[in-house]
Amino acid sequence: MRGRTRTLTCGVLAVALVAGGCTRTTDSGGGGEEKKTKTQTGSISYEAADNRGPAAAVDGATRGGTVTVMQVSDFEHLDPARNYVNVQQVTGGLLYRALNGYKENGSGQLLLVGDLATNPGKDVDGDCKVWEFTLRDGVKYEDGSPVTSRDVAYGIGRSFAPSLNEGPHYIQQWLYPGGVYNAAYKGPYDGGKPAPDGITTPDDRTIRFTFPQPHCDMPYAAALPTSAPVPAGKDTRDQYDLRPFSSGPYKVKSYQRDVALELERNPNWDPKTDPLRTAYPDGWRFTFGLESAQIAERLVADAPADQASMSWVDVPPAVLPRTTSGGVAERVVKGPTQYTWVLNINTQRVTDLNIRKALNYAVDKDAVLKAIGGQAAGSPATTLMSPTTAGFHQYDVFNAPISGDRAKVAELLAGKRPKLVLAHSNIELRTQQAEALRKNLTDMGFDIVMKPIENSSYYDEIGRKNNPYDLYIGGWGSDWPTGSTIIPPLYDGREIVAEGNNNLSYLNESAVSAEIDRIRKLPAAEQDAGWMALDEKIMRESVPVVPCYYDAAYELHGSKIGNTFLSDAYGILQANTIYVKQ
Amino acid sequence: MLRFIVRRLLVAAATLVVISLVTFGLFFAVPSSPAKVMCGKSCTAEDIAQVEARLGIDQPLPRQYTDFVRGVFVGRTYGEGDFARRCPAPCLGYSFRNNQPVTEIIAQRLPVTASIVAGGAVLWLLLGVSLGMVSALWRGTVFDRAAIGVTLAGASMQVYFFGLILLYVLVYATGLLPFPSYTPLTENPLRWAAGLLLPWMTLGFLNSALYARLSRAQMLETLSEDFVRTARAKGLSPRQVHLRHALRAAITPIVTIAGLDIGTSLGGTFITESIFGLQGLGKATVEAVQFLNLPLVMATVLLAAVFIVVANIVVDVLYAVIDPRVRLN
Repeated sequence: MRGRTRTLTCGVLAVALVAGGCTRTTDSGGGGEEKKTKTQTGSISYEAADNRGPAAAVDGATRGGTVTVMQVSDFEHLDPARNYVNVQQVTGGLLYRALNGYKENGSGQLLLVGDLATNPGKDVDGDCKVWEFTLRDGVKYEDGSPVTSRDVAYGIGRSFAPSLNEGPHYIQQWLYPGGVYNAAYKGPYDGGKPAPDGITTPDDRTIRFTFPQPHCDMPYAAALPTSAPVPAGKDTRDQYDLRPFSSGPYKVKSYQRDVALELERNPNWDPKTDPLRTAYPDGWRFTFGLESAQIAERLVADAPADQASMSWVDVPPAVLPRTTSGGVAERVVKGPTQYTWVLNINTQRVTDLNIRKALNYAVDKDAVLKAIGGQAAGSPATTLMSPTTAGFHQYDVFNAPISGDRAKVAELLAGKRPKLVLAHSNIELRTQQAEALRKNLTDMGFDIVMKPIENSSYYDEIGRKNNPYDLYIGGWGSDWPTGSTIIPPLYDGREIVAEGNNNLSYLNESAVSAEIDRIRKLPAAEQDAGWMALDEKIMRESVPVVPCYYDAAYELHGSKIGNTFLSDAYGILQANTIYVKQ
Repeated sequence: MLRFIVRRLLVAAATLVVISLVTFGLFFAVPSSPAKVMCGKSCTAEDIAQVEARLGIDQPLPRQYTDFVRGVFVGRTYGEGDFARRCPAPCLGYSFRNNQPVTEIIAQRLPVTASIVAGGAVLWLLLGVSLGMVSALWRGTVFDRAAIGVTLAGASMQVYFFGLILLYVLVYATGLLPFPSYTPLTENPLRWAAGLLLPWMTLGFLNSALYARLSRAQMLETLSEDFVRTARAKGLSPRQVHLRHALRAAITPIVTIAGLDIGTSLGGTFITESIFGLQGLGKATVEAVQFLNLPLVMATVLLAAVFIVVANIVVDVLYAVIDPRVRLN
């Protein structure tokens, strides 16, 4: 969901995103727990019971109270067209409803169901090219007017505007394939049509998407905020960020940028139309500009004024030791996020498969993880995709001990001592991590040359096809919990361009590309297993990376917040069914 | 007196013009385009040009400067057509990030900083000056020694250290005080004071240490001067000698420093604001720099200069009132 935003532009947005992934890895040890692997049972559900409102009541939950969310920095964007970061998307979900959404109950079962729509979308011709959504009856905006399919189309239309270009552009690109998504259509402003080609609204409650190519992932893409309705008359363009017009359970009461955002109930939201949200709290108050240690200390202390508070900021290392005692430990919410961090091997330069395998036996994942904070920051990885991905199952091609297998490395290297350039971002954390790797790999029989890169241009540098480096660490998170936003962007050689690559191992194998094409044409339900099998096949046959660790969230909340669990869809504390204990 | 004030105001105005010119020049030298930062990663040259036009930074520098100055007096409108944003006088710029005139942002943030500084200053002046004076008068006593010790500790401590200790002891560990927060004075004076107690205590203790040491030294020096001896010889009571003669003379350098301290602090108390999670002008300035929110940076730099310049004038005028030896003309 926040793939590119959270990882690949991490350096660029580091200031804005201290709440997001950039600091996640600053966590340090303590609070360790045994390695837990879970199987993600997510799927798209067309079951009437799953798609029907209201959302199931939470045991013991009561209506009322105000939740305070303490954050380091303000949201970059709340405008649904510009919303591409997890904390913004979860907050956006309180204000507006996209066509689809994720239904979660904390058990690890993630269901994609219709939110505005009555179900996750009808594949009209069975070829994934034409998708039809029917809006629910009785969904109203904050002023009581009905939500129409035209507003959804208009919302997508305005996401093409160059001035609102920060959001995800899957549907946009699918409507206009080949080239830049908004080369031909630039949104409804300056005389543009209200909706792009390929979107029709036969009546007030029906919206139909016609794509030139099949896109069986459409139900997932329709869960991104760009399909939230925006009435043309309420479009304030670049100011919409500060006050999105509500179609969800809450509306903006006040918003002082960088200071605080207050939400109050939208009286026109009808719980009977909403299968996802219980909306127990009467209001939300987001406070910005706090230090992460301050937030954690306050939540640990749990003073009466802070008991109905929570935060999406990971507990920083200094405070971790105080989160393990009774009274605090049960208020920790932790688990894997959709991010996997790997040591990319530049396969254009390291062409010897045995060296790539040797690296997999050599890397001390424990040391790599310790350098950034240990178990609270993540858990050792053996796969390309994260445990939050639908259809995930754990496999380990190499079965090496966590700190490496010296004998195997020696056997694969057969007396050679490969000289490799290890590039890393120059921030302290990444430097420490690279240093741990250098020590580890040197010890295992490699000659490692360290190459620090200015943090803000790290991903630009390693994203250049002809970069002069052999090894570099990188993280990636899916935009929705299936392999289709992980394997193709990262391992399809046909997507390699001169600059700005996401395929950082530069793996370019026709067998992999062919398999990607084959899986893409499968019905959505069968794709999950397909991506997982391809994940394993890539690691078994091509070995383009060393999977290092699955990123983890470690968040705290006050004692009066109930029904807290980590959202598998967003990797942070969920907000839809939370309640304030009275 | 009037002539003096007018002259000082003219000099102050000239100073501000120079500062605004320098600030403008510095921004011109910033290597990365603020438009590019605002526009995001997947921005085309066309989009950047559009943002630049809206910000008015596609114009030559002298033109930008005159536009700015005109805006201060008559207000201005940014952008055209659908993107037009009105910024009424005194317009110090328009922040597109916040979608509001910079003066509005300052109006929201300045009261926080002003409240912190006001309470802190009252505390540190009262505490510091009285402690210093009493120490000087009771020179060599146990009280004097204890005061010197405490103030030495205070003067050598930092806000971020002492503030965190106070937070830990009074908030996190014992829950005696709530975490600081800002409530406008006009809304609820009691909550205003309660929410700011910790920053006041921190600033009050640390700065009072400095003022205590300073006033003690000043007082000791004054007490040894001829006019004090004369006053004593004339048969004035010790109380009159100390308060009417010695204190008045001793306090002038303290007024100078206090004026500058308060002026500087009003421009932003970033560390204090950060430690106590308060959204004052200091944090606004640092955030503005981080986001390259240039109109806001420009305005806060200018405002900080205004505070210092004004504080200087006030100090000069106060001099004349306090110290009969000073004549303004």
